[in-house]
Amino acid sequence: MGRLRTKGKAGAAKAYVTRSSAVKRLQCSLADFRRLCILKGIFPREPRNKKKANKGSTAPTSFYYAKDIAYLAHEPVLKKLREHKAFAKKLSRALGRGEWSSAKSLEDNKPSYRLDHIIKERYPTFIDAVRDIDDALCMIFLFASLPSNSRIPPSLIENCARLAAEWQLYIMHSRSLRKTFLSIKGIYYQAEVMDQSVTWLVPYQFTQNIPSDVDVRVMLTFLELYQTLLGFVFFKLYTDAGLVYPPPLDTQKDEGGAGVGAFSLQDANHNATLVVAAKEVKVDGKKVSSKDVRQTIKHIVASAPPSSEGDMMMVDTHTNAAETDEEFVAQPSTSDPNAPTILPTLQSLNALPQTISADLFAPYTFFLSRESSRPIFEFIVRSFGGRIGWPPSSGSGSPFDETDDSITHVIIDRPLVGKPNETAEERDRRFRRKYVQPQWVVDCLNAGKILLGEPYGQGKTLPPHLSPFGEYEGAYDPTVGLTHGDITITEAGDGDEEDVSSSADDDTEDDAALKAAAAVAAEDPAALRAAELAAEAAGIDYGTFEKEVTKSLTKAKKADANGQPDREDDMNKMMMSNKKRKLYERMKHGEKKREAQRANLELKKLTITKERKRVLKSTS
Amino acid sequence: MTATGLTKNLKKRKEVDGEVQEPGPFAETVGLEMLSDEEDEDGGSGSGDREVDEFPEIDTRSDSEDEYEGSEDGSDEEDDEESSEASSDADSGLHIFPESKTILSNITGQLKHVYPEIEPDYDSDSSTEDAPNRVGNVPMHWYDDLPHIGYDMNGKQILRPARGDELDKFLSTVEDPTSWTAAFDKTLQMDKPLTPEELDIIRRLQANEVPDPSYNPYEPTTEWFTGKGKEEVMPLTSAPEPKRRWVPSKWEKQKVMKIVRAIRQGRIVPFKPSSSKPQFYSIWAEPPSSHPPPLPAPKPRLPTHSESYNPPEEYLPTDAERAEWEANDPEDREKDYLPKKYSALRLVPAYDRFIKERFNRQLDLYLAPRVQRTKLNIDPNSLIPKLPSPNSLRPFPSYRSLRFSHDKGRVRCLSISPDGAWTISGDEDGVVSLWEVNVGREVKRWKFDYKIGALEWCPRLDISFFVVGVEDKLLFLIPPHLPSAVFTLTKSVLAPATLPPAPATPSPIKWNTPPSSTSADSPILTIDLPSSSGVPRQITWHRRGDYLASVSSSEGQGGVWIHQISKRHSQAPFKKIRGSVQLVLFHPLKPHFFVATQRYVRLYNLAEQKLVKTLMPGIKWISCMDVHPSGDHLIVGGYDRKLCWFDLELSDKPYKILRYHTRALRSLQFHPTYPLFASSSDDGAIQIFHSRVYNDLMTDPLIVPLKILRGHEVKEGLGVLQVKWCYGQPWLVSAGADGNVAVWCS
Repeated sequence: MGRLRTKGKAGAAKAYVTRSSAVKRLQCSLADFRRLCILKGIFPREPRNKKKANKGSTAPTSFYYAKDIAYLAHEPVLKKLREHKAFAKKLSRALGRGEWSSAKSLEDNKPSYRLDHIIKERYPTFIDAVRDIDDALCMIFLFASLPSNSRIPPSLIENCARLAAEWQLYIMHSRSLRKTFLSIKGIYYQAEVMDQSVTWLVPYQFTQNIPSDVDVRVMLTFLELYQTLLGFVFFKLYTDAGLVYPPPLDTQKDEGGAGVGAFSLQDANHNATLVVAAKEVKVDGKKVSSKDVRQTIKHIVASAPPSSEGDMMMVDTHTNAAETDEEFVAQPSTSDPNAPTILPTLQSLNALPQTISADLFAPYTFFLSRESSRPIFEFIVRSFGGRIGWPPSSGSGSPFDETDDSITHVIIDRPLVGKPNETAEERDRRFRRKYVQPQWVVDCLNAGKILLGEPYGQGKTLPPHLSPFGEYEGAYDPTVGLTHGDITITEAGDGDEEDVSSSADDDTEDDAALKAAAAVAAEDPAALRAAELAAEAAGIDYGTFEKEVTKSLTKAKKADANGQPDREDDMNKMMMSNKKRKLYERMKHGEKKREAQRANLELKKLTITKERKRVLKSTS
Repeated sequence: MTATGLTKNLKKRKEVDGEVQEPGPFAETVGLEMLSDEEDEDGGSGSGDREVDEFPEIDTRSDSEDEYEGSEDGSDEEDDEESSEASSDADSGLHIFPESKTILSNITGQLKHVYPEIEPDYDSDSSTEDAPNRVGNVPMHWYDDLPHIGYDMNGKQILRPARGDELDKFLSTVEDPTSWTAAFDKTLQMDKPLTPEELDIIRRLQANEVPDPSYNPYEPTTEWFTGKGKEEVMPLTSAPEPKRRWVPSKWEKQKVMKIVRAIRQGRIVPFKPSSSKPQFYSIWAEPPSSHPPPLPAPKPRLPTHSESYNPPEEYLPTDAERAEWEANDPEDREKDYLPKKYSALRLVPAYDRFIKERFNRQLDLYLAPRVQRTKLNIDPNSLIPKLPSPNSLRPFPSYRSLRFSHDKGRVRCLSISPDGAWTISGDEDGVVSLWEVNVGREVKRWKFDYKIGALEWCPRLDISFFVVGVEDKLLFLIPPHLPSAVFTLTKSVLAPATLPPAPATPSPIKWNTPPSSTSADSPILTIDLPSSSGVPRQITWHRRGDYLASVSSSEGQGGVWIHQISKRHSQAPFKKIRGSVQLVLFHPLKPHFFVATQRYVRLYNLAEQKLVKTLMPGIKWISCMDVHPSGDHLIVGGYDRKLCWFDLELSDKPYKILRYHTRALRSLQFHPTYPLFASSSDDGAIQIFHSRVYNDLMTDPLIVPLKILRGHEVKEGLGVLQVKWCYGQPWLVSAGADGNVAVWCS
């Protein structure tokens, strides 16, 4: 006989603790516990058996690993939080007694904690940190655009804005932006840093208000962590790129609304040899991998143009574009013969992993019109090597003004308005430049090549803007024609051609009748004869009827071929175990749902195209 | 006023009397004036509580007094007079403070307040003074509809004073400068001007001052124990003064010295600048710890085409979709946004749920339990077990070759002769039909008065007869047109010339052989089961054809009997049995006996008379079972749609549980020679399975569903009630509740 086992002494009962018992064990307030959890990245766990973990109770609670809580108990931040509690008591006492000097000395020695060790602990390697900065960037960009209030001090917002600018500067410097997506939620950017794709979302430039059902304390705690994390990450990125961190800020430019331009990147080598020497030592002491990474980054930055020269097709268009840079009138003629050959490759390129050349816009000079957002397009254009200028109303620091002759593209987002009194010089300038809508820039960089500016011209109805991130496998693809719908499209087309005079209702009715007849007729010859007669009476010519019949015949055959194994499968389903059956049913359900979504979209597309055709016909 | 209140008042009253009366004799003896003497006398008695006495502390008492006076005023005149000094003080405290004078007491030599004397006449009592309306403390709205407002002291009506309308009121406020100082007197129903004293009190109350103008809250303190000549001479305690009172602390000195030493050595720098560690540095320069990094948080979903500011038109929601999205709760929505199309980028507004979504993401990060799931990336069809195709497992019954109908009543039972040529079927109407399996021609029909519970053909090939179970009886019948040899042998078995000797133990069951004169239609042998044992639910033969077991539907003792033909003897195998017996079965090879109660199947060894094992199918109510001809496998079906396959060698839990019928299972049977079994159910379907059993113990039995036979109608919730296989042919005969018996051929 083995030893008696006491309940609740081993297993899940010991491995998990509830939140309230964790708080009790740590002897801190719930708010402090939350704070610790956020900072340390501790999250609740789902025990396999709740009842076993909660001493037989099934009350809804959240569980933490007991080990996690044990580690938390030794956390220096927790100690600091306790010290801060004592400090707050002392301070309020001193203030209440009017002991101003002691209050001041207390305030001077206020306990404050650092999160360095937590960053190191949560992200042991730099790659881990880079992989996890998505959320941090989103938060930084959000808070950079928030108005300050009593809970959000202006210094915080300033710091966030600084971090955001530093990140954008780095991306522009390293030319690592890959994809951009203008969504209704904001602008998604995707960059490739240290071989990790980093995606972040930037809200459109409007004042955001914090809704009342959002706990700002939680957000601020996250922000605290994120600021520290990003500081360390940027330090590493900048120093690896041979730049000084933090980049010096030109306050005068900043007050002029220069945005990113207020910061100036300084090469660490030029700046101070001392620092470089120190860094050299550091680099040598480091692992080989990070050194390699640094070198590769440098290499990429230095030799971006020659490496991209090695590409195929795309480079051709580029060189074309570069040649035709000066005389823009010629460009349509050169691109016209290319167009048909490009079109199929566009799709194939979309499907393939894109090789985006980092200086897509290098040959061009852009000018932003007043209504398009400067921070967005300055960032995009500059990270692809283009030059960009803007009117003074969008902020100071524009490298050139509107009259500059080197401008090739004007990004304009307003409807076309005839200008009655424009001088000859202005008109000449207008003809020399290309006027495109902002979507053109984004679509170009997502496609990885310069697209035709024609559909994106000023005042034109834009082609749809698609997500460069793609969708799940087998989802509806709006760029490709309908897959199953091939037949139906032709069918519909036939129907349309057949009876343009008859109304739409008639058309569909006839079609349905015909189909049903054909389906029935496929089986036996007598019915076939009858159906033929009926079709004749309905005024359907023999050719279409025959087509229908053969189609339904093949369909029936297919169904037969499928049907036998299907029924067998149905029978075999009986022999599945319960677990497998449930899994099977779930998978089938998901499949069906996806299929339904896809069918819905295809149907919508079909109706839209039909509608469009009808409108076209009626107008012509 | 309630009775309890009254008694309380009376009690209080008595207390007051007691208190008041106490100084009475004292005053007499001293012979001083009532008002002044109190102070003097107090001062004389002791200087201890002098301060307390200076305040008129009669609040509670005065309240009770007032109440008392209000309730039964004028009843006790004397008491009133006696307590007048107290009540006058109270009244003055409540209403108007009479001016007090401060004079030098000639007894104590101190200053004291002296209040003007109150004449003890009727006017001194404020309650009697000016209240011409004597109705008392009653709600005045009682008089609202009357011309008068009460009665005066003489019982005469007081007429309602004229009250002007709103205009008059307004005019009076305009004309009369003092009108704002008047207050409405409820008892007199008219405005009464407030006196200057009352106005002063109101002003003071408004200004948060003490209502009494003469009261000084900041009177100089009187030093009782301090000052020259007043200090206490004697100490309060006799303990000697401790040393710590006059020696400097050693521990304090040590602590201070510790700090001093630290400052001297430079360990403590008083105004040290804050730490000089840089804010950011190369944190990843030193090698990472050996700890595995925590799992990275899952990345948020990347945006799809429908989130574009300018999506393809097919992504835009229709009106119905939009309405559905809006009607749903936010947590029920499939997408947290509605796709929208903007013609230009400048028209795109701010996303109103941006912060909320960020916040939700953070909640997910720190509040949501994370589970690591391995995503199954398999074809769902690969989950379906790969079984041999039914076509390769022929023969099995696949179509209905013929149908035999009973006119009325559902066909409960059927049996097939051991040579496979004849079928008997019995219905609830009491009709038993004998017909040929091949052609479906009815040869003979018996009619009984009761419904047929069970039918079974004797498995012996050299004789031919069958047993029919009707109400309380088992009837042995011989089919017609038998070869004479068979017939005589059958006759000799069932009705031998010399009866075997009666068994030693008497049985409640009687074996009756009717006299030979009766017609050929009548049963040749009858077994009378105990009365009220009900219809035999099941009859089952031992393979040798000598024993047969019957299960009756009655409760108690199970109704299980084993009858032996050769000895014409019946016995109950169980003295007591737990649960109601549903079915019994003889083991095909061993002297074992299966008994299915409602939830369990028990296997008994009849030779050794003991329980071998109990099988637990986990079925709520067992409806049917059959044992494989090899004797190693058992299938059990239940009314809860389950079919359990037991490997008797293996375990007492089912090897496989199948649930494929949509209604209760009714009947199950293994084919005696082919590897087939069939099940029928109340959903009207018969299911044929291939069931191959291997001789080696390592290979699991192979069960392949072959065919679902449909053709019986469901009537009153009942479908196919019994299925039986033909011996030697892969043919199935099924009896349905719709009165049809069908033969299914391959």
